[in-house]
Amino acid sequence: MLVQEMMRSPVVTLPPDASLQEACALFTGRGFRHLPVMEGGRLVGVLTDRDLRWATSALCPEPRKLEDPVRSAMSQPPITIDPLDPVEDAARIMREHKIGCLPVMDGPELVGILTGMDILDTLIKLTGVSLPSSRLEVALDDRPGELARLTAFLAERHVNIHSILTYPDADRLVRTVLRVGSSQIRPLAEDLRQAGFRILWPRPKPWSR
Amino acid sequence: MVALIHRAEYAQYDFGPEHPFTPARLAMLLDLLGELGADLDPVQAPAATREEILTVHDPAYVEVVEALSRGESRPEAEAFGLGTPDNPIFPGMDLAARWLVGGALHGARLLMSGAEQRVLQLGGGLHHAQRARAAGFCLYNDLAVAIQALVAHGWRVAYLDIDLHHGDGVQSLFYDSDRVLTISLHESGHYLFPGTGHIQELGGGYARGLSLNLPFEPFTGTEDYLEAFDTVVPQALAMFSPHVLVVQAGADAHFADPMGDLALTTQAFEALHRRILDLAHRHAQGRLLATLGGGYDAQVVSRVWTILALTLLDRPLPEALPPAWIERWRPLLGETPPTRLHDPVPAFPPLPGSELRSHHNRDMVSRLLDALARYWL
Repeated sequence: MLVQEMMRSPVVTLPPDASLQEACALFTGRGFRHLPVMEGGRLVGVLTDRDLRWATSALCPEPRKLEDPVRSAMSQPPITIDPLDPVEDAARIMREHKIGCLPVMDGPELVGILTGMDILDTLIKLTGVSLPSSRLEVALDDRPGELARLTAFLAERHVNIHSILTYPDADRLVRTVLRVGSSQIRPLAEDLRQAGFRILWPRPKPWSR
Repeated sequence: MVALIHRAEYAQYDFGPEHPFTPARLAMLLDLLGELGADLDPVQAPAATREEILTVHDPAYVEVVEALSRGESRPEAEAFGLGTPDNPIFPGMDLAARWLVGGALHGARLLMSGAEQRVLQLGGGLHHAQRARAAGFCLYNDLAVAIQALVAHGWRVAYLDIDLHHGDGVQSLFYDSDRVLTISLHESGHYLFPGTGHIQELGGGYARGLSLNLPFEPFTGTEDYLEAFDTVVPQALAMFSPHVLVVQAGADAHFADPMGDLALTTQAFEALHRRILDLAHRHAQGRLLATLGGGYDAQVVSRVWTILALTLLDRPLPEALPPAWIERWRPLLGETPPTRLHDPVPAFPPLPGSELRSHHNRDMVSRLLDALARYWL
């Protein structure tokens, strides 16, 4: 998924000579936590609610006054991202720099903003349940054709796959979590076991009747 | 005072010989009740009309169901959840589903007119059907059409769902309605179909706090289940004070059911059915509308639903199953058919990990109650 599919726009911005009080009104009034700072059509910094709280705190060595300009408290230089970058890049940049937002820049132009919350929304979309479906979890060998063998098996039985998530597991196995559009998951898992697949969920019942 | 609703046409709701939701389940049940001397003589309700279906379903969806039902082919069928392994298309399915909806709706009318206090439809319970989508063997939502009629009558309706699966269709159709409280107990959607029914699904807008979900860990047994039920359900009904209690009484949370992983016994179901009756008396002026639901093990479903029917009819439960019934249904009951109404005690050896499971289930209940405290106070 690309940044341009996850970002928000249009973006509310601040001029660098706006007062911290004006910035605070935007944070509390509109529920913002990050505001890009623009000067002459150019991005010069980002003011976060944390910047503001620190700059005006009694614990700050040089506390700013409410009428001081945003320029005096903003984070800079801003760290940005391209609208065509993928979600994994956005997540990695935010994690590396321990920051909560990325202004999205198309060349010199600010076209959107991406925050940690947008990344969480994307995680929910990628892992979540959007249609009635069952969980099927399979450990596949890490070699070509294994996933194809699994999906062909499901296709033969006309079982629709709503989503697939894979991640590396120990012993050169690929843990594969599928959401499939069928409630009859136990019989399906039994058939898969018969066909030699390692099914992690659903498990066989621990009792017999 | 008590009405059973059923008619032969319910058997038309049939997805074919390979499908688990088979009408044989109803035939076995009716035969067992008859053999046990229950005075059946069920009320035969008319089929629901198209207009009645449209009180909860989308016109475009109903139109596609009707077309497929006539044998026409529609490329958009699968987008409506039709023609899938769960909901295969069969001729006449529109009317077949309308018979079941008609039964639940008629039951609601018997309660609204005051003619009856308790109604049990022997069939139906199609709780997965959504506004514009078939799912999980459910075409039209009989429960939702009945609830809608009760709401239109001016009543507050409490819906209780003890099926193995989350009652997602009913929940979503009334998610924003402050006239309907929905409570669903089920195996957690992290593991089981349909994947929803988490404690965070609390209802929308003014109805926040009126959608309750108790998702249990796989292999949860009777004790944990009843403890959670007793902690949440009575106080929710006391708070909401409904005019009527509508219940989807699926039997698939039984330990032998092939669809899922909960581990209730027939004794647990008897305890549940008695609690439901008691709760209807305490909190819903005695008014109860119950349907059947999921339940796919031939050795189990007739026994669980016989317990349900006899409990609602205030009749004693027999210990043994009639030999004639066992003989007639031996092809479905298998080589070692059950001979008693209840499961043996213990029904299965103790399961490992029960302490961890109980711990998790209790935490789930406290989280739910913590979240609800904001909306109920």
